[in-house]
Amino acid sequence: MPPTTHHPLDPSLPHSNSIEPDNDDIAALNIPGSSSSLSSSNIYKHLRTPSTSSLNIRHPIDLRAITYDGAVDENLVCPICRCPLVDPVLTECDHIFCRSCIDDALSNTKLCPIDRSPLDSDGVGRAPKMVHNQLDSLKAKCPRCTSSFARSMLENHLEKYCLEANVKCPGIHSERYCKEVVKRRMSGRGCLHYPVDCPDCKETLLLVEMEEHREDSCNEKLKACEHCGVDILRCKESEHHKECPDIIRPCKWVEYGCQHEAKRKDLHLHTDDCNFKLVGPMADTLKKEISILRSDMRSLAETNHLQERRIKFLESGQRASDRPMELMDLSLANLPESANTEPLDSGHEYLLSLLESQQSRLSQLSNELADFQGKNTMMLLNETIPIKNELSELRSTQQVTCMHVRWLMRFRMQENQRRFGGSPGPGPSGSPDGGSGSDLPFSRRLSDSAPRDIITKL
Amino acid sequence: MAALPKRIIKETERLAREPVPGINAVPHEDNLRYFDVSIHGPQGSPYEGGIFKLELFLPDDYPMTPPKIRFLTKIYYPNIDKLGRICLDVLKSNWSPALQIRTILLSIQALLGAPNPDDPLAPDVAKRWKEDQEGAIATAKEWTRTHAMT
Repeated sequence: MPPTTHHPLDPSLPHSNSIEPDNDDIAALNIPGSSSSLSSSNIYKHLRTPSTSSLNIRHPIDLRAITYDGAVDENLVCPICRCPLVDPVLTECDHIFCRSCIDDALSNTKLCPIDRSPLDSDGVGRAPKMVHNQLDSLKAKCPRCTSSFARSMLENHLEKYCLEANVKCPGIHSERYCKEVVKRRMSGRGCLHYPVDCPDCKETLLLVEMEEHREDSCNEKLKACEHCGVDILRCKESEHHKECPDIIRPCKWVEYGCQHEAKRKDLHLHTDDCNFKLVGPMADTLKKEISILRSDMRSLAETNHLQERRIKFLESGQRASDRPMELMDLSLANLPESANTEPLDSGHEYLLSLLESQQSRLSQLSNELADFQGKNTMMLLNETIPIKNELSELRSTQQVTCMHVRWLMRFRMQENQRRFGGSPGPGPSGSPDGGSGSDLPFSRRLSDSAPRDIITKL
Repeated sequence: MAALPKRIIKETERLAREPVPGINAVPHEDNLRYFDVSIHGPQGSPYEGGIFKLELFLPDDYPMTPPKIRFLTKIYYPNIDKLGRICLDVLKSNWSPALQIRTILLSIQALLGAPNPDDPLAPDVAKRWKEDQEGAIATAKEWTRTHAMT
């Protein structure tokens, strides 16, 4: 990896070298002043050791990306890029632009961007020296150490002096031939690019990163509590704050209005003097009561909700039972409307409602079955009673007919007896003798004697 | 997307720090090249009292090419068509990289006060503007009331 890529500014920008022609003479003039402002003697130390200067890396700067001190005079700002001019040029029509900006503009249209007068690249020349000097003396912040320098000095500062700027690792001269870069302030300690364990958290890191790690991110590092001065682990800091005796805490009745604050260890002294020592406990009990009441209310509301739901089910069930039996459907999709449209909190409740609706449906069905049974019995009864009546009527008519027949029989027998006089009674052997072939009606009547006997026997 | 040029950052900062009266331009959070703009109708024009919304987009080669600007609010104006496109020379051939968002928006606000029916983008509006100026102005006021005052 090339070392310059560690720099936050893009080194490939085309204008970074644009002030180079002036660099040397101005740098020569300004170095004593600017280096005295650095106030660190070890800069000279680095300069004295012959190896350090060979570690310097060039730091090309994008003069449009740096931060200038204060507002820059509007006359020194390029009308195209709106930044302090970089490599300023003057046009034939007396307008000043950055060289790259006017080149870009003229590649689009051959007119001056300000007054639209015809212009091409031949009509553009270097701006007066005074403008260059004014621009070069503009103060800007070093992107690394944030101290201010004349902008023409920044590259030099970064390359040779800035303690936060990168230099090649001194290890490049050792047998390891380390190719890393390191901040200048660390470069005096030799190559730091080897792994070590953090003495606190045992994490393995490159030595060059250790300082930052122990300062900012190591959780196992001991740190003095800002209140009581006791050494605590950084990761335990918030826990310690919960019990630190020297931390400032409010009175325990602060929520009821006590303004008193004291160190935690001294708070008990305030307890007896506190104006809220009587009101506080009272308010506490009241608060407890209120919370109990609130929870009661919540549970009541819940039961109320449940019951309302039940009522809705029952109502919908009744509505459904009014419909004729054939239209009823046991499928789940045809639940009572209230069960379907009511927004249910969870699947559990939904299942419960399903169950309930099924139950109500079942009871409704059994009711209807009972009804049906009753109706059927009534119908049967209604139909059998006329039949019974008819039967008894028939029986009585039959009896009457029987009586008539018997009477007629007796009458006929008497007549027969009278006709045959003293004959010794009718006999089957005698009847063919009596009138075979001559008197048919008689024979027929005689043949009726058997039933007659039966009837008499009856 | 390439890093935002310093010029766009500076223009955005200045628009927020020293806003132009009657003009408001705020970049989208997810695309700093895309601005939501609102312009108050200039006093004495048929657009007075209306707040017109526009969209403004800075192309990749801005400021070498002009920003793309379009009216989002419907407006009855001979040099603005149905789609909200604006007929303004500095947005096209007469663009100069020395112009800025704020100067362009000021030009648009001034344009609303000086309609030019001889260089129309909406021919039907321009025709009516020439033949029946009073009626056209009444329609412009009516449109301002219905579309730009909510």
